[in-house]
Amino acid sequence: MNQSKEKRNVVVRIAGAAGDGIASAGEIFGKICARQGLHIMAYNSYQSAIRGGHVWLQLNVGACDTLTHGEKPDVVILLNRTSPSVHIPDVKEGGVVFYNSSLITQDLFKMREDLTYYHFPFRELVTDPGVTAVMANIMLVGCLVEVLGLNPQVGLDFIQDRFDKKGKEVVDLNRRVFQLGIDWSKKHAKRLNVSLKGDGKRRMFLTGNHAFAMGLLAHGLKFYCAYPMSPSTGVLHYLATKAKSHKIVVKQAEDELAVVNFIIGAAHAGVRAACATSGGGFALMTEGIGLAGMLEEPIVVISVQRGGPSTGIPTKHEQGDLNQMLGAAHGEFARIVLAPKDVEDAFHISGRALNLAEKYQTPVLILSDLFLSEHFETAEPFKVKQPIDRGKLISKAAGDYKRFLITDDFVSPRLIPGAPGLMYCSPSDEHDEKGIVTSDVLAGLPESRELRNRLHLKRMKKLDRIRQEDMRPPELLGPRDADLTLMGWGSTHDAIKEACEFFAQEGLKVNQLHFTDLFPLPIEKTIEILNSCKEIVAVENNLTGQMARLIRMETGYHVKRVVSRYDGEPFTGEDIYHRVKKELAYV
Amino acid sequence: MSEAKDFNHTTAPDWCPGCGDFGLLAGLKKALPGIPLEPHQLMVVSGIGCSSNLPGFVNTYGMHTLHGRALPIAQGFKLANHKMTVLAVGGDGDGYGIGMGHLVHAMRRNIDMTYLIMNNSIYGLTTGQTSPTSGFKMKTKSTPFGNPEVPINPLTLAMGAGCSFVARAYTGHVTQLVEIIQKAIRHQGFSLVDTFSPCVTFNKVNTHQFYKDHCKDINQEGHDTSDIYAAFRQATCEQYIATGIFYESERPCYESAEEETLREPLVNHKLGLSEAQQAELMAEFV
Repeated sequence: MNQSKEKRNVVVRIAGAAGDGIASAGEIFGKICARQGLHIMAYNSYQSAIRGGHVWLQLNVGACDTLTHGEKPDVVILLNRTSPSVHIPDVKEGGVVFYNSSLITQDLFKMREDLTYYHFPFRELVTDPGVTAVMANIMLVGCLVEVLGLNPQVGLDFIQDRFDKKGKEVVDLNRRVFQLGIDWSKKHAKRLNVSLKGDGKRRMFLTGNHAFAMGLLAHGLKFYCAYPMSPSTGVLHYLATKAKSHKIVVKQAEDELAVVNFIIGAAHAGVRAACATSGGGFALMTEGIGLAGMLEEPIVVISVQRGGPSTGIPTKHEQGDLNQMLGAAHGEFARIVLAPKDVEDAFHISGRALNLAEKYQTPVLILSDLFLSEHFETAEPFKVKQPIDRGKLISKAAGDYKRFLITDDFVSPRLIPGAPGLMYCSPSDEHDEKGIVTSDVLAGLPESRELRNRLHLKRMKKLDRIRQEDMRPPELLGPRDADLTLMGWGSTHDAIKEACEFFAQEGLKVNQLHFTDLFPLPIEKTIEILNSCKEIVAVENNLTGQMARLIRMETGYHVKRVVSRYDGEPFTGEDIYHRVKKELAYV
Repeated sequence: MSEAKDFNHTTAPDWCPGCGDFGLLAGLKKALPGIPLEPHQLMVVSGIGCSSNLPGFVNTYGMHTLHGRALPIAQGFKLANHKMTVLAVGGDGDGYGIGMGHLVHAMRRNIDMTYLIMNNSIYGLTTGQTSPTSGFKMKTKSTPFGNPEVPINPLTLAMGAGCSFVARAYTGHVTQLVEIIQKAIRHQGFSLVDTFSPCVTFNKVNTHQFYKDHCKDINQEGHDTSDIYAAFRQATCEQYIATGIFYESERPCYESAEEETLREPLVNHKLGLSEAQQAELMAEFV
């Protein structure tokens, strides 16, 4: 595609064995770039093994906004013997290969003659006895900094900040190792022809899970509970390190049944409580989600999708759990489902979810996915946009307090338990406004049926308010008069945007329709926007087009074409571009 | 100062006449003023089952939740507001069947709360199936040819799981029950009180008469509650049914590990971060 302009981004892939420290080298390199005002998207491809698997990290580094981790790498760094056969075929024409000549012999590379090969004996270069294998990756970072023409001083400063706590000796050692990489590259390798001049803004380099966790923390979270499950565990790890300094309770519980019920208990006590899990853990939580609906408890549950069903492909990506969010738990109750579009959105949506949960006293489900939760990207520092709003939370009330009082806005004042004289019980059985059970000895009697109608309606009417007051219609981005609209939800936002750019470069008018507020949909506005599109293709990381199905169910609008990907890999713009073309047989 | 009647609720229990749960409810109301506790200082959390209806019959704060999940909810509540006294209540199916996974962890975790189990060795609300404490060969609707499984011994299980207060009572012996409930609530840590609470409708084996005939208060006989081996011997004794406090340990409760955070109950904390605090969080990622 368009290669005529000066090249302003470069795609780097580092591949090796699990345990080689690739992720940490990538993070250090990413932060060094981010500090120079560059944009980076990095995606880590790994397996469910602590050692022994083959892993790789792909980073798209750019002077302009990098929307995805890129399709084919310009540069690959190969650390183990498995790497060449896996990655050499992927390298862009004329690309560059650095390989660990301590392990890989040159005859492995006969397959491609268009590439430039550098043998990088990086373990042998380090003679310092204090250097561990993982530390040696710092040299790799030095090498990259040099061949990409980045400012080495930023790297040296970063090492200073990173290892400062460990003492001068460690800082100096790491700096020496970093310098070795730079010196080697200067002597043996050619600088790449790419212009990577940053805009001077010091950006953060972080994952979606970091952003979720920080978002919860910044918006008043007090109680977090979890059972470890990839790819959601990053939230637990981050919050655990902040528990003491920010005076929050972080509890690892025995299973997800416990997790969701712990946060219901904490929410009932009057604190902001949340948890995160993945599809299998969420499945175990579903009864609790229904309980929160019935007891009108404000809880926030983040579910990070991975390849299912069952254990599926636990370290790979999928958008296969939307149906589960919509159908979680028996019976009818109000729920909100949100799917952030990128790392920054993950921060803000966490705060919004905590507010919505308390405003409507009902569960809010945030649907993330492996790609969003685990990939690193650059972002400018976040600022809390929405002030904390506790809704109708009260600590005292008049004598005749009714926890489930039917009000004009369907939300009852929620009393923090502990006030003298206002005792009430919240039952999972159907109940009257005071919380007295109407489902046992009174069940089926006319008065009880009438109460059931009123209380059920009160809980369900919240959905209408949510729809009208808080759910954002899908965003339509790009030319209004486009011939084709690519529709997506959640983390595919940037990949679809990138695909639209590819189409635009060909002179085709393609725009993007993106949903982050999935349920309840603001129906009228959504229909209006759908009707304004000429031809819509749904782009989803699942086989059946779950969002397209939801839209048809809620609006009657039938999005007939679905571009699916379910091999465990996230979309890139280039990938979508080709798949859409194939679907429509444009070319 | 509260009195037992302050804990009376306007809703009358819907249990069968003669149900052992009446004894527990009466004992509980009688025990609370002496702790001392006022109605608003108490949160009673239950699961599902006949006995789990109890929070609706006692004038305190309450939650009547899911089958088997009373403990996680009660623990979450307690960590969020540890100044309140938290009780979990429920039956043997709730605690030793569907909720067993939580029980074992709650006992080793040792959050300061009390779990009262009304154990009738039968599933009553579902009209009489075998429960985790139904006797070997006991005939029930789901085991018409006799229960092929041996029952759980809640006391040895509790001591094995590191429970720091282990007791058993018969709900018909109110004086002993009241004393045990008071000690259990005062104990700093997780207290398990297994009570024999006969189901007069579906269990014709573990009747009131059966417990009246066989229970023996071991605390009257000089049992040393700090001796876990003596406690195991009493809990497995076949000559009589031992009741009383079997084991007590003063190991620190869970909240002590969160001392700094829980100086004030979480629910009283001020929320939100200053701009400087936000900036500090962001700086870690640069």
